[in-house]
Amino acid sequence: MKLSFLVKSLAGAAAMVAMAGPALAAAQSAPSPVSLKGDVMLEKTVSENGVSKVQLVEPKVVIPGDHLLFTTRYRNEGTQAVTNFVVTNPLPSAVTLSSDAAPGTEVSVDGGKTWGQLGSLKVEAAEGGERAATAADITHVRWTIPSIAPGASGEVQYHGIVR
Amino acid sequence: MNTYNTPLRRAASIAGCSIFALSLTAPFAGTAHATGVLAGTLIENTATATYQTGAGTGTVTSNKVTVKVDELLDVAVATLSTAPATANSEPAVLVYSVTNSGNGPEAFNLAADPKISGNAFDGTIKSVVLDSNNNGIYDPGVDTVLTSGALATPVLGPDKSVKVFVLVNLPAGATDTQTSQVRLTATAQTGTGTPGTSFAGRGEGGGDAVVGLTTASANSLAALIASLANITLTKSATIADPFGTAKPVPGAVVTYSLAAKVTGSGSLDGLHVTDTIPEGTTYVPGSLKLDAAALTDGADGDAGTGGTGGIDVALGKITGGTTRTVAFSVKIN
Repeated sequence: MKLSFLVKSLAGAAAMVAMAGPALAAAQSAPSPVSLKGDVMLEKTVSENGVSKVQLVEPKVVIPGDHLLFTTRYRNEGTQAVTNFVVTNPLPSAVTLSSDAAPGTEVSVDGGKTWGQLGSLKVEAAEGGERAATAADITHVRWTIPSIAPGASGEVQYHGIVR
Repeated sequence: MNTYNTPLRRAASIAGCSIFALSLTAPFAGTAHATGVLAGTLIENTATATYQTGAGTGTVTSNKVTVKVDELLDVAVATLSTAPATANSEPAVLVYSVTNSGNGPEAFNLAADPKISGNAFDGTIKSVVLDSNNNGIYDPGVDTVLTSGALATPVLGPDKSVKVFVLVNLPAGATDTQTSQVRLTATAQTGTGTPGTSFAGRGEGGGDAVVGLTTASANSLAALIASLANITLTKSATIADPFGTAKPVPGAVVTYSLAAKVTGSGSLDGLHVTDTIPEGTTYVPGSLKLDAAALTDGADGDAGTGGTGGIDVALGKITGGTTRTVAFSVKIN
């Protein structure tokens, strides 16, 4: 009990110091200066006067083949710039990345061990050897935001299809 | 919907993520597999970020967003018979498969309709049978005959199928080689409707049940053909008298010939050719023949018997287009 209290109090102190000056490293348990807020919407194609368009609706009813838009909003609530901000999102196993979801987004097909553009990645083929990875093989996506100014916010998104 | 300042928007673009660049694919277009994720599956998404500040590195994890996959109601019906099933005195056995192409367990009501417009005759549905031992062959006494009023498949898991036999009798008046069809329709018990119709709370795992592209109803036509046969029996006689003049005089031998000609695409089974010995004549022992091959008179291993009481030759099963000829001789007293 005593030890855990000590760690906690030290952590608190460290966080306060970190806020005050850039010299000290923030401890793991320090309140993050950045908030992450996840959200999911269902992309529903509606047809109006022969023109189809996509509406975002609450995902009340979701079936295989539906397109979901996963959004993660970030906000720098601190007083300093946050740099090299890398958002990593493991894909839920029931979701495959839509092939047109996020051109240029770095993806992983091996559980987040290696990363790259989808076109450059390979996976083991069922019949042996390797084959080019497809959108269905993607396990993780990630985005890199070079810098977030204090008070600034933004969002990253990916389009998924329910398998 | 949201407002962001320009630099941040640019930052996001550089990072390669799409902002409001929604894909224009129809919601159902991604349904590549007959069955997708099982109904009731939870889709849980969490993002984690690492970053640097002047104070060092940090990580932050988002809240978890959860979506439950609802049950898709879909079904496929196919005809497994490649050729029309034959119907004669026995019903035609039509074979179908019913597949649950949805993503949750579902039972399907079955309906067999023999009244298809344009057909030569309308068959009569004798029974609808489940292929209980899943061998694709109707096994009387083994496969489950469904009771009318409860024509339905058992609950089928996603992508699971069951074979269904529909036994169809020929109506009176159907003639040989006429064909007809029977439509088997399977409908999801939870409900049917236009794609997207949903039944709140009726899905597996407490979610909704949603009608898929198949409208949760499917059907298939299977064909049957009447395979009937007719028989004509022609009797002829030749006379051989002791003087070589073919006159029916006492002592002359009359040889009767009975030609049983079966026509049609079907066959006749259990056929017997019988005849009596005319009055004033005596059967010539050992004269009985089938297709020119001698038969013994006694009731033994061969097909015929002959004697004073007449002759009887069992022909068994004869297919259409075959003629069997029985011959025997009598002597005029």
